[in-house]
Amino acid sequence: MTYERSAAEDLLYREAWCLDNKCWEDWLALYTEDAVYWAPAMDGDEGWTDDPDKDVSLMYMDKAGLEARIFRIEGHDSYATDPLPHTAHLVTNVLVHGEQDGLTRVTATWMVRTYARVRGGSVRGGLYEYGLRETADGLRIATKKIFIHDDRIVGPIDVYNV
Amino acid sequence: MTSAQELVDDREGENIFRVHRSAFTDPAIFDQEMAEIFGRTWLYLCHESQIAKHGDYVATQIGTQPVFVIRGSDDDIRCFYDVCSHRGSRLTGRTSGSAKTLTCRYHGWCFNAEGACTLVRGGDEAYRPEDLDRMDTNLRPIEKFGSYKGFLFGCLDADAPPLDEFLGGAMPFIDLMTDQAPDGMEILRGESRYMMEANWKLQTENSTDGYHVATVHRNFATTVGYRETLAPEGDSGMAKTEASRILSLEKINSGGYDVGNGHMINWADRGNPEAGPSWPQREALLQRYPAGKVKWMLERGRTVTVFPNLLLNDVASSCIRVWRPISAELTEIETWCIAPKNEAPEARRARIRKYEDFFFPASLAVPDDVRAMEGAQIGSEALEDGWNDLALGHKTLVDGADDAAKELGVTPLNSNPGREVETPFFAFWREWVARLTP
Ligand code: FES
Ligand SMILES: [Fe+2]
Repeated sequence: MTYERSAAEDLLYREAWCLDNKCWEDWLALYTEDAVYWAPAMDGDEGWTDDPDKDVSLMYMDKAGLEARIFRIEGHDSYATDPLPHTAHLVTNVLVHGEQDGLTRVTATWMVRTYARVRGGSVRGGLYEYGLRETADGLRIATKKIFIHDDRIVGPIDVYNV
Repeated sequence: MTSAQELVDDREGENIFRVHRSAFTDPAIFDQEMAEIFGRTWLYLCHESQIAKHGDYVATQIGTQPVFVIRGSDDDIRCFYDVCSHRGSRLTGRTSGSAKTLTCRYHGWCFNAEGACTLVRGGDEAYRPEDLDRMDTNLRPIEKFGSYKGFLFGCLDADAPPLDEFLGGAMPFIDLMTDQAPDGMEILRGESRYMMEANWKLQTENSTDGYHVATVHRNFATTVGYRETLAPEGDSGMAKTEASRILSLEKINSGGYDVGNGHMINWADRGNPEAGPSWPQREALLQRYPAGKVKWMLERGRTVTVFPNLLLNDVASSCIRVWRPISAELTEIETWCIAPKNEAPEARRARIRKYEDFFFPASLAVPDDVRAMEGAQIGSEALEDGWNDLALGHKTLVDGADDAAKELGVTPLNSNPGREVETPFFAFWREWVARLTP
């Protein structure tokens, strides 16, 4: 079945809310057990890597990888992650593209403003591609692909600021 | 103005080696470095696999000067200043691309991939033949250009020694990486450039600094260790990580070498070498190379820091890193995954996942390194308390080769057992002083 845009928007906005409010467990619960989280790397000036088994990605993780990211943050032992910056996700232009491989395909545009007292503010942006699936717990994220448009990255890239 | 010599307090007879922190902060020193080091030494440009076909090019910089490396119709690789011979427009339009003819976007002059000017638009009508002769419309090659095992280097000093002589004692350690690849090495698709708000020399030191691994990367090790408990099957076999080695939980052999010309080596035995991506090649390698060398290839993680700004890292995965100074407190860093061509899919996948775990600005390690170096930059502004005393491991330093170096058949200038030592830095700083001293 294909969803109304509002159902997809609710899920995407909730994800942004969880990240910006650092509700990590609630954020993780939005992903299916078999979720794939993928931020491809740049390939030349216009392209992106497209095969995670042959090309290098910025991030390519399963749900255990996402949970490990939370572990990293909550351990307060990562110099880059402690203290955490404030983040504000803007998620817009949400479109539902219909069903493919049993998932509802949704795209959106994102911009994240990050502010850390040690290094000040920065803004990054890009595009999202989601594959959503209905589960017993409601609509969940089975795949998320994040295109990060920025090159010459200042500061870390992590699940909370893209 | 303070001289480089005054900033490095090197008293060999008294066992003292200190670096004044203004070396990281002084803009006048930075200007000298750009002229005397980045203007005159061999610098890494790119890998030959990135320009496999006629017309493929990579645009980069030597110090502040734009250059590009391109493969010609004769299969030779050349490096030119990236500037149109007409009125100075940059010729390449991309960080990498392919063009058998480079057409200047400004007024349309054309150049072939061997650097010859093939078209001066409207030239016959507007120029006298002697005008064009005088102008020399061909592209200008950089002063020196060379390849070592596919790693391409350029140098703007016509009087610099040959590349082999410059690389010197670093070559056997570069070979440990390239000799794992019977079909040659390739750079994998997937780029990342990131900025560090710190001096470039902090990255040079960090590249060979074994002392920070157990602190800065403790979080990396505990995080991947935790992940293995969540998904034991996902992180098994070749995907198995080396978390416990990073935490120094087990006693391992390790060390640091000064191999001359400012190049530094840091190594440590691998925690579980059989999880390494080249381990399946072990039998084949043993038929080709002495056992001591194969042990170095597969059972010892190595960082090879080539003066002044290149790191070849062959540990759980394999990485090339280059850092380019922008100002005294800003550095641009580029990182690539390099691997043997025709690697088995399972090994390639494991290599890539481990690379992503550690080497990118989205990884579980590099952001912590960057933050540590940025912290050192800020702290270095406290110049009243201005000396970094590099005494760590000084008491265990020995001249020449240690047992491990003998296994490889090389003789470093000096060796130090243990990776938690700062003595390899002496190599870098002595070269730095020599280059900045008229
Ligand atoms: S600057 Fe290139 S054609 Fe004029
Ligand atoms: Fe590090």
